[in-house]
Amino acid sequence: MNRTEQRQAVEELVYRSCLTLDNKDWKGFLALCDDDFRYHITAYSPEIRRDMTWLEQDKKGMDTLLTNLPRHNSDHSPITRHATVYTVELDEAKGEAAVVSALQVFRTQLDGGGSELFAVGRFYDTVKLNGSGPRLAKRIVKLETRQLGYGYHVPF
Amino acid sequence: MAKSAEQWSARPNFPQTHYVDSRIYTDREIFGEEKEKLFKPSWIIACHESELPNPCDYRLFTHPAGVPLIIVRGDDAKVRAFYNICPHRGNTILYDPSGNAKRMTCIFHQWSFDTRGNCLDISRAEQGYQNRFSKEDAGMREVKCEVAYGGFVWVNLLDECMPLREFIGGAMDILEPFMQEPMEIFHFHKAHLRTNYKLWHDTNSEFYHDFLHYFNRITGMMQPGYFDRKYTAYPNGHATVGSMQIQYDKYEGSKERAVGWPGLARGGWYMVDLFPGMTYNLRTSVMRIDTAIPLGPNEVVIEFRGLGLKRDTPEERAQRIFDHNMIWGPFGRNLHEDLLGVTGQGRAMREGTDSRWVIQGREENNTIHDEIGMRHFYAEWSRRMERPAYDPYREGKPEPVRAVA
Ligand code: FES
Ligand SMILES: [Fe+2]
Repeated sequence: MNRTEQRQAVEELVYRSCLTLDNKDWKGFLALCDDDFRYHITAYSPEIRRDMTWLEQDKKGMDTLLTNLPRHNSDHSPITRHATVYTVELDEAKGEAAVVSALQVFRTQLDGGGSELFAVGRFYDTVKLNGSGPRLAKRIVKLETRQLGYGYHVPF
Repeated sequence: MAKSAEQWSARPNFPQTHYVDSRIYTDREIFGEEKEKLFKPSWIIACHESELPNPCDYRLFTHPAGVPLIIVRGDDAKVRAFYNICPHRGNTILYDPSGNAKRMTCIFHQWSFDTRGNCLDISRAEQGYQNRFSKEDAGMREVKCEVAYGGFVWVNLLDECMPLREFIGGAMDILEPFMQEPMEIFHFHKAHLRTNYKLWHDTNSEFYHDFLHYFNRITGMMQPGYFDRKYTAYPNGHATVGSMQIQYDKYEGSKERAVGWPGLARGGWYMVDLFPGMTYNLRTSVMRIDTAIPLGPNEVVIEFRGLGLKRDTPEERAQRIFDHNMIWGPFGRNLHEDLLGVTGQGRAMREGTDSRWVIQGREENNTIHDEIGMRHFYAEWSRRMERPAYDPYREGKPEPVRAVA
């Protein structure tokens, strides 16, 4: 793969991660992740002037979290993740790419179908490039939005 | 049997102490009175001392009675509270939610104030005010402020208020042994909800809603001794719940709980509900504090704080954060369920829905699924509001009251 093809494959991985999660295709999402996958949701609080971690899971933890979802009482309105890949920095030596994407999450009410902006932030992804195709090794969802109302059970 | 309109409106067959009229959650008039009679005279948690580690650090807080406050650590390290309202023409003095300000300067006409509330400078004072008004006349409005009960910053808007110790009474005794070491905040978020603040406090005052939580259904409730935990009621509307052990390992994905909390048995859990809308919640390795800030009868902001120990190693802190997020984080298993539940109440009980009564009738010897915590809260509510919660407009006719089995 040349660099353009590589960048294209990386972008597609980010977009597929959104599609699979939007479609509640948890297995499909996890299939995009490396075995050592780490997932974090973080936010900086200007109120307490600290970086916060709001969720932290490895691949197994994500699997459990997603599998347990039907057992919980949750808001059932679907969310859609809109990502735009801003930068892809390839590190040939490491066989990795550092990817920064802008993220917007919208929530659509089941009754009446009104959509509203739920959250904005960024994906900071580490993508492994060796092997059969690019895999997500690490995702940090850095949220700008900290006011999430009654919240949500499904990671962004 | 399903109910007719008449049956739906009829008072529940419980003692008057065991139900409330749902208009106390929806009426604007009652809400206005609550701010005056409940929130203004109460001591309220504004923030934690670790949010103001250095001299001149400040933190903004909107008091539940509506007043915007600045909490600031003075150059002398003492924490004080002031109105965030400029004594000149009423502008907001500080805009950012936190920061460090040796000198607090109003952006409008640049009057400036020190961290003790004195006015330092009035721009072009002599030219405009000659000898009629000077900086001595332009101090900030100071509010009673104390750091106590685990390093929290408490404020009271009244000059002549009940001392904090008297307001709390014995309600914090249960937690005192676990608050001997300095704590430090690691989590803060606000949830803005369409519901009444009392419904949130109700959720924090009863464990019967264990059934809402998948996590609780498979952990605490299954344990021997769970139903022996008791509520204790304290003066001024406060209540506590004693400890238990939580079998976290019953919930798949929970890690071995290694950090713990000094003095607390593994899996221990203590809760203190403070009138009119604050909760201390110490569970396993994390202290959580909720502060309700009502914005209207059907609108509330809840501030959530998570704290560990100041002396935590990075590894210990990371474990506490993990424990916190698992259940109580914005994406946690239980918090979303609790907030969804209370929002559903707000939706069903908002003005005009013909909701009528809320039943708080469970009696189980004051144990965990007894609704004594809520009843105790509404007894105090009724006393301070001078309106019975079961009949806030005194429309009820005397009636025979059935004793509860
Ligand atoms: S309103 Fe603050 S200086 Fe004028
Ligand atoms: Fe709960």
